[in-house]
Formats: sequence, C-alpha cells, structure tokens
Amino acid sequence: MATALKPPAAEAPSAPGVHPKPLWSFKPRSDREAGDAIVSNFMLHWFPAKVFKPSLDWNYSFWLGTISAALLLLLVVSGLPLMFLYVPSVERAYGSVKDIEWVVTFGSWIRSVHRLSAHLMVAAVFLHLVRVFLTGAYKNGAGRGQRREWNWVMGVAMLLLTLFLSFTGYLLPWDQLAFWAVTVGTNIAASIPYVGPQVRELLIGGRAIDQPTLLRFYILHIVVLPGVLGALFGYHMWRVRKDGGLARVDRVARLREKVAEDVSSTKTYTLLGVARGTAPQVRAATLEARDLTVNAVPDLVRRAAIAVLGTFAVISVLSSFIRSPLEEAANPLVTPNPAKAPWYFLWLQEIVTDTTFTVGGFTVNGAFLGGVILPGLLIAVLTAWPWLDRSPAEATGVWFHASRRKQNLVFLLLVLVVVLLTVVGTFMRGPSWQFFWPWQAWPELPTRI
Amino acid sequence: MTQDKKDRREFLTKLGIGAGVVGIGTQAAASLRSLLPNVSYDSPTTVKLGLPGDFPDGMKFLPELRLFVFREGKVFHAVSAVCTHLGCTVRAEALPQPETMDVGGAPLRVTHRFACPCHGSKYTGDGRVVSGPAPKPLAWYHLEVSPDDGQLVADLAQEVERDFRLSVA
Repeated sequence: MATALKPPAAEAPSAPGVHPKPLWSFKPRSDREAGDAIVSNFMLHWFPAKVFKPSLDWNYSFWLGTISAALLLLLVVSGLPLMFLYVPSVERAYGSVKDIEWVVTFGSWIRSVHRLSAHLMVAAVFLHLVRVFLTGAYKNGAGRGQRREWNWVMGVAMLLLTLFLSFTGYLLPWDQLAFWAVTVGTNIAASIPYVGPQVRELLIGGRAIDQPTLLRFYILHIVVLPGVLGALFGYHMWRVRKDGGLARVDRVARLREKVAEDVSSTKTYTLLGVARGTAPQVRAATLEARDLTVNAVPDLVRRAAIAVLGTFAVISVLSSFIRSPLEEAANPLVTPNPAKAPWYFLWLQEIVTDTTFTVGGFTVNGAFLGGVILPGLLIAVLTAWPWLDRSPAEATGVWFHASRRKQNLVFLLLVLVVVLLTVVGTFMRGPSWQFFWPWQAWPELPTRI
Repeated sequence: MTQDKKDRREFLTKLGIGAGVVGIGTQAAASLRSLLPNVSYDSPTTVKLGLPGDFPDGMKFLPELRLFVFREGKVFHAVSAVCTHLGCTVRAEALPQPETMDVGGAPLRVTHRFACPCHGSKYTGDGRVVSGPAPKPLAWYHLEVSPDDGQLVADLAQEVERDFRLSVA
C-alpha cells in the first residue's frame, strides 16, 4: 500500500503519450521535457520549429502584418468592454458613448484604445499591402505547391474588411459624423443603376436612416465582419506556413538550388501528414543550413513579442494622451459644414466630388463613377495583379527588384495619388468643400435661414 | 460492384449533394430576404405644411421635411433641400439682391441660392446646378391646398416641372 501512495516521478508518465506536466518549460532539462515543450507549446504550432533568419529582419517586412494582427487583437479586447457599455439604439447610442467618454471610469481610455487601434490598423494593413507589393512577395519562388497569389487575394479582402469595419464603427456613436456618413455612404450604393435603391434599402433596413440602420451596422460591426476577418486571418497565417514562410526564403532557396540539386531531400510541414505530396516545400538545403536558420523559439517568438507588445505599449500610451472626438448628436435636419469623412475615406470623398461629368446631355453621377466604378476597378486590378505580373521568379521577396521596376513605379504612383487626394481632402477643403490652401483662412459662414 | 449499382451510387451521391446545395441556398436566400422590410414605418410623403397666410413672403425652410417653400404674394412653390449628388441637406444663402429670372417659361423672383456642404455642389435659387458634382437639379414638389382646412399640402413623392406654381386665392 505504501508504494501506491508514493507520487509518481515527474519523468514517469502513467501511460505513453500522457504528458506529466501541464506546463512546458522554456529551459528543458531533459530531452523528454524538450519534447513535451514542443508538443504543448502553442507557439510551436503557430510557428515552424526553424525559421529563415533573414525573414526576421526588421527592415525586410517591417513586421507590418504582425502589427496589424496585434492591433486586431487590441480591437477585439477593447471592443469587449465597449459592448457592455454601448446601447445600439438611436435614442440612447449617443448618450451611452457620451457616458463612456465622460462618466465611465477609464471609459475614455478604452474608447481611445479602440479608436486609435482602428486608425492605425487601416494604416498598418495598407502599408503591409504596399510592402508585399514592392517586395513581390505574392509571387511563388522555389517551393512546390505554393499559392502565394491566393494569400494576396485574402490580403486585399482583409484590407476591404478593415475599411468596412472602420466605417461601421464610426457610425455607432450616432453623432453628426455618423449620420451624414451613413447618408453619403448608402447613397453611393444607391447610385448603382437599377439595383441601387434596393441595395440601399437592404443596407439601412428601410427608406430612411433610422433604428434598423443602426442595428444593422452594429451587428455587422460586432459579429459579421469580425467573424469573416477572423476566419480570413486564420487562413492567411496557415497559408504563410504552407507556402514555406515569407517570400524572402525563396530567393536564397533559388540561389542554393544551383549548388545542391538534391530533389529528394525536401522538408515538409504537414498536419498529421494529410497534405503529403502537395505540401509546401522549401529546399531542405535552405532550411537546414545552419548559417541561415534559427530556432523559432526564441528568435521568432522574441521578435514577434517585441512587435506585439510594442504595439500594445504605443497604443496604450497614445490613448492616455489622445482623446476620441464626439460630434454633436445626430441631427437629420442639419448637415455640418464642411462634412468630412475620416482621413482614410477622404480620397474617396475627393473622387466622388470630381467625377460627375456630362456627355451630350447625359450626366454620369460622380457617386457612381467615383464611388463605385473607380474603386471597384482599383480593387479588381489589385486582386488580379499576381496573375498580371510576368516578372521572373527571382523577383520573389526582393525589395524593388529590377525586373519589376515599371510595375513598382505605377503602383507607387497610384499610392501617391491616393495619398495626395487624402492630403487635399484633409487640409485643403473648407466650408462647402471649397478649395483652400492650408494657410488661407476659411470665410465666415454665410447667413443661413 | 456491377455497373448498375455503381451508376445508382453515383446518382445518389449527386442527388445528395444537390439536395444539400439547394437546401442551404434556399435557407440563405430566406434569411437574406427577411432583411428586406415589408412594411415601411417612414413618415408619410404627403404632408400638411400650415395655412398659406402663415408663410412669410420669400423663403421658409422646413428642416424636418428638408424642403424650401417659396412665397411671392399669392404664388407658392416648393424646392427640395436634398442634394441630388449624395443626399446631404443643402444650405440656402440669401442673395444680396433678389433677382428675377425666367423659370420654366414664367418669371420668378429668386431670393436665394443653394450650396451643399458635403461635396460642394452649387445651385441657383430655382434649383439648377451651377457647379460641383450634382448630376441633377434640385427637385420641385407638388403643392396644393387641402380642401378640408385650407392648409398647404406638399407631396414629397410627386416631382413636378419647374413651371409649377400654386396660386392661392
């Protein structure tokens, strides 16, 4: 009996495959502990065991994807308390946001975390897309079974989701900004020939902007869009693993290929071996080259932690100093003057302003051309770009590769146009959307009746 | 397995998949359809505005209806304040001097002009586009005198030509 009471030694599991310790160790003292750490460490399921060292460089990826993900996490976490405090009703939404801002303890800070994370996420996701384009990282290089182009398509979709999440988010306070943004946004949808009015009715749940509108955008903001974004994000990360890591690894793999042409020695990462055969494969020569690979734990984990925790810190500190604005309560009777969208939509506001034209008595509404056709074309071309890009595989994962000079220039020009339009909309538009130089004073508003 | 059995198995497989697709598709369509409202709780489009005599000479802005009502003696007309570009409410700016212009074949004394705060469209006092992205002139709405109590009645669902004038006896 006495022997049965003796606690089993930590090294002796009761059955094969049962891990004696629920927690894993950063400093394993035996092979057994190291093996347990690998099995139970989430980071090692998320990350590969070994990573390509140059992929970790700060100045290759700028870690923009990681930062975007960190911001998304912050948005979910800060959105949770806001969901308890916010009331999605046209009578009470504004009041509840006012309470969050001025009555709830730390409410203003939580709201600022949410708002600043959202603003920075738009910027981070956009810059991530710019980085991926300029490095040709949507291209397939050395690995077999790579589908990087689909990850690019997912990325474009996630940028749109980020924008739509921002749009549905700033409607919720139901202040003047919100009300007139819904008015303009849904009228852009209504400008589509034939089906436009029905689309608008579906969006706002009636013919006038009212309670059904707020509820629809609220549900989109807290359930539908985050759900879709979360699913796409999971797929996005999985694809990065399937494609053999960041595109940068492919370049070196190609260079080494000429040295060692051993086709049989490939390293596969498969889930229970299901994907064997078509699995993502990077030359073992690359992955096992000691000079170029490091262990994911701690090298990758450490850098990811710096990026994620750094993002948290920046947002947290900024939110202590920058308060979130709240305009007057929504007033369907008065449009503010000027009525401006948030900065990331000002280029669109500028385009819908400038694209109404008349040909032979037939007028094309800028709302349709600038609000639907042009952005739609832009998204279509962006989505299809990996298939239009005919540059060689050597251009994969290289900043400004010579073979992609022309397309990089065109892309940067487009980015510049969007940035310029945003700057014009932000700093050079005054009352009645008139053009003013930043140093010009805005005129007194004319008398209103 | 005989060829007959194999055919039957393939057929049943396809039937099953097809039934699944149809079932899920129909349920998705039903869910989506439920979001299209069948009843509108919007305010009615025919609205009583008050007795004609209560309107001042010149212009009166009715913010709830987003409507400008103009009076020149016994003659009335109503112009929408909804910008035809993206639906913001235009602002009326008083002209320094009232002007008389030919509108729809009849002279009209014009006291204001309109400007949209959202995208900068500008309109003349009778609603024509001067500049900016607005694709159409501001709408004119039908006015009549209610037979029961003599109030002005605007029909916000009935656009009229710009020669429309309501003369009140």
